[in-house]
Amino acid sequence: MSKITIDNKEYAFQGQPKLLQFCLDLGVELPHFCYHPALSVPANCRQCLVEVGMPVRDRETGEITRNDDGEPVIRWMPKMTTSCSVDMADGMVVRTHRTSEQVERAQKDNLEFLLINHPLDCPICDQAGHCPLQNQTYKYGPEGSRFEFLKVQKPKKVVLGPRVMLDGERCINCTRCTRFTDEVSKSHQLTIIERGVKNYPMTAPGEVFDEPYSMNVIDICPVGALTSIDFRFRARIWEMSSAPSITVTNAKGANCAYWVRDNLVLRITPRANPHINEYWLPDEDRAVWPRFNEHRPEGPQVRMAEELTSVDWEAAYARVSELLGSVDGSSILFLGSPHATVEDNYLLGKLAASVGAPAPEYIPHVKPGAGDGWLITDDKAPNAEGCRRLGIHPVDPALVQARLEAGEIAAVYVLEDDPVASGLFRAVDVQDIPIILHTYHTTNETIVAADVVLPAAMVVETVGTYVSADGYAQRVWPAKAIKGVNRTLRMEMGVSRPDSHGTPFDRWHNESNQVNCKPSWEMLPVIARSLGLQEEDASPKAIMQEVAQTIGAFEGATYESMGAHGVRLAEIGATV
Amino acid sequence: MPSPSRNGSTKAGDWRTYERVLLPSIRNLHRFDVYVKHGGYKALRAVLTHTKKWAPGNVIEAVKASGLRGRGGAGFPTGLKWSFMPPVDPGTPRYIACNGDESEPGTFKDRQLMEYNPHLIFEGILIAAWAMQIDATYLYIRGEYADWIRHMEYELGKLYTEGYVGQRIMGTDFSSEIIIHKGAGAYICGEETSLLESVEGKRAYPRIKPPFPAQKGLWGRPTTVNNVETLACAPLIINRGAEWFAGIGPEKHPGPVLYGMSGHVERPGVYEYPTGMLITDLIEEVAGGMRGGKKLKAIVPGGASVPVLRADMIDGVTMDTESLREAGSMMGTAGMLVMDEDTDMVKFLRRVTRFYHHESCGQCTPCREGTGWIENLVTRIDEGEGTLRDLDILLELCDQMEGRTVCALADAAAWPVRNTIQRFREEFEAKCRQSIYAMA
Repeated sequence: MSKITIDNKEYAFQGQPKLLQFCLDLGVELPHFCYHPALSVPANCRQCLVEVGMPVRDRETGEITRNDDGEPVIRWMPKMTTSCSVDMADGMVVRTHRTSEQVERAQKDNLEFLLINHPLDCPICDQAGHCPLQNQTYKYGPEGSRFEFLKVQKPKKVVLGPRVMLDGERCINCTRCTRFTDEVSKSHQLTIIERGVKNYPMTAPGEVFDEPYSMNVIDICPVGALTSIDFRFRARIWEMSSAPSITVTNAKGANCAYWVRDNLVLRITPRANPHINEYWLPDEDRAVWPRFNEHRPEGPQVRMAEELTSVDWEAAYARVSELLGSVDGSSILFLGSPHATVEDNYLLGKLAASVGAPAPEYIPHVKPGAGDGWLITDDKAPNAEGCRRLGIHPVDPALVQARLEAGEIAAVYVLEDDPVASGLFRAVDVQDIPIILHTYHTTNETIVAADVVLPAAMVVETVGTYVSADGYAQRVWPAKAIKGVNRTLRMEMGVSRPDSHGTPFDRWHNESNQVNCKPSWEMLPVIARSLGLQEEDASPKAIMQEVAQTIGAFEGATYESMGAHGVRLAEIGATV
Repeated sequence: MPSPSRNGSTKAGDWRTYERVLLPSIRNLHRFDVYVKHGGYKALRAVLTHTKKWAPGNVIEAVKASGLRGRGGAGFPTGLKWSFMPPVDPGTPRYIACNGDESEPGTFKDRQLMEYNPHLIFEGILIAAWAMQIDATYLYIRGEYADWIRHMEYELGKLYTEGYVGQRIMGTDFSSEIIIHKGAGAYICGEETSLLESVEGKRAYPRIKPPFPAQKGLWGRPTTVNNVETLACAPLIINRGAEWFAGIGPEKHPGPVLYGMSGHVERPGVYEYPTGMLITDLIEEVAGGMRGGKKLKAIVPGGASVPVLRADMIDGVTMDTESLREAGSMMGTAGMLVMDEDTDMVKFLRRVTRFYHHESCGQCTPCREGTGWIENLVTRIDEGEGTLRDLDILLELCDQMEGRTVCALADAAAWPVRNTIQRFREEFEAKCRQSIYAMA
């Protein structure tokens, strides 16, 4: 075990970590811009300078030389060093701005330099509020500026690609974006052009910055130079709340944060998870935010005299129980869903078993060749692996077709999916049999054939578990409120958005954008009871507890074990 | 007082009788046949045939003993640099990057060598290649030297057809390639690690050191970076012996050197003489004295980035590391800018700062932002709109830049500012006092 002294305090360390990362891990803050843990170390912003020294060792004995007080004699390096590039060594002594005036001064000087040609247009900049340059200037920067000249003028409002816009003047040349395209996405689409103070990132002439991971450069840009064309000027950062969650665009289970204002999802950004997506998120995962706001159903509907009519939830449940109670339980086709959570699918499976129907099956949403072997998978649904582990298997369309023609299916119960759009059957094929549909959207093509439409909560409104293609079980938290009272959701929201109730700008309690829907785990027990079955209301946490205890493939997969970053089921002993 | 020059009293003899070795007066020496006729490639042949006597280690020892220091500006002992190369590992290629990207204002001596004695450079490269067991040498020539690039490529082509470079040089077992690489007009490419990046086809941003090029150079392989003139000295050391070389000029900084004389002198040009020449001799005797008989005001001894010296500071100062350090400047590239009494030092500094503003690569914040700010301030002072406070800010900006960047270019940009203001402060103050904002 080696030792290092930082600001007169001794710390133990192993191996040869870089000083800056070690300090950040310890919570010893050092200002920095160009350093990013997932990228190479260029040490070009010069903000993280510290004084570094090593104890003087006797040449012959190798013993540390000590002064009269028994203190080791330190030989300080003649220049300050960037902590991001320093390999730590045993006995090293470091002075940061907390103990060294020279370092404090250097940080101030460097921020003065960074700001002289920075437009300081924070009031209209999207980055303001979560801008490392802004924050660190407040903390470490000079009082004012001595610069009395025209700032450098560089191209502004440059459309680099379909999703990313550049403001060259805001750029501080940290090269995080070019390093991302060179080292992580390997598209090599960005480079720094021009020279000196005119530098800014750009594509090759005629090239478009359109790689599938382009928007990550927006997240890592330490200023507002790279902004999202999609999100520009839509909301200030402090008006929104964010909730930790995962993306449901594909089966990777990439960790993300949903940013919400007034119960509208405004953008999706990555959340670091070293095992799954590190710091990154593909563009397609971010582009789907409108689907959480648009075409959402307004309460349940039932078909009366050929017309779908809005009713209250009790009436809808009653109609479900009437329809299901009138047919032979074993001839109901239950369709689970890879879009729905493990909890929802599990309850559906229980319902199917209770009425004597065969186990539910699910419609796969796999697009062969769509994946890239990294964060984009062929499977376009988030929970196919969860379904499989529950014993819910892909449906055989030919068999369903044959059974429909033979009149063997008396009713269809669809959980959060769209069999008509998926081509499982046509609306005309099921005209004569009752269809009960849990749906997210009014655009669901099965609605035309449905007898009861039950609006279901989406990933941003519910609590539940998804299992990624790689076998990570991850839970999600609600990001926005829905209509109606669900104590579990309210409680989880209080946990998931620690700052949400602090900002007066996110009017989450305002009903205008709340969707009148319910999570399926709330609906299914009510329906079961209306059919005369024994089924208690339970929170997703309790349901998952039950799943973990009764199903081997989920053994140990409780909310506690999943935590904030999920758990790999194979690693906790769950049988596959 | 600086020690008096050893010239005129040493074994090297009086500089007036000095016999040129880097640029001997032989007609058409740039041609392969002429160069060979006059004893060219004798040193290389000696080294490659007497592989016992001239084992790689012995060549390095000879260069160490000669006391040769790098001629690119920093003056690092060449033999020592060569000895930093790790032991030969059969699977790992080793490189030399030969720096011919001279772009320091006031420096134009490599060009002269490339024009008149290119084969001395090639021979030097190949001797160094033998000494360090190099697989390939990248000879990096600044893009503006288009004529000389063409010329060097032609001569190198001839060398390849004659079997003096490439596979099995001169029929021996030693093989080593030389590749000429054109720069694209950036001063920063003369910085050694930046040059490596440029050769690799990347944007020429200097690298963080350590690792040094000898550990991780071109494509992460052991590499030595030497100036063109430095390597041209190698054949001389082999031919005439390290002692001969060490006997030229002062003990700690010996050898022949190309002085690039420019500015207000009667005969500007490149002159080959021993190191340790008296500055006054160089101006008065070598360069023909001050133009139009004017009085000397200031000199910059070795390229724009080294500190300027006032006329009253050069008495007895000689062109070598020690003497110039005592006088408060540096040897640099030995490209001497001479300025007469009519020179406006503010304008001089304005031009220098403009250069560094234009050439800062923009990688590190202090240099990228500082060089521009400095140029703004000096321009303002020169245009009669400066204030005395601007002078203080200028000196503070030098503090803010020096020693805080990846490479030494921020230092190179700050030194002339600091020294010109300190040594000609009254001129700067006068301009500020006359300015329309004098009271500010």
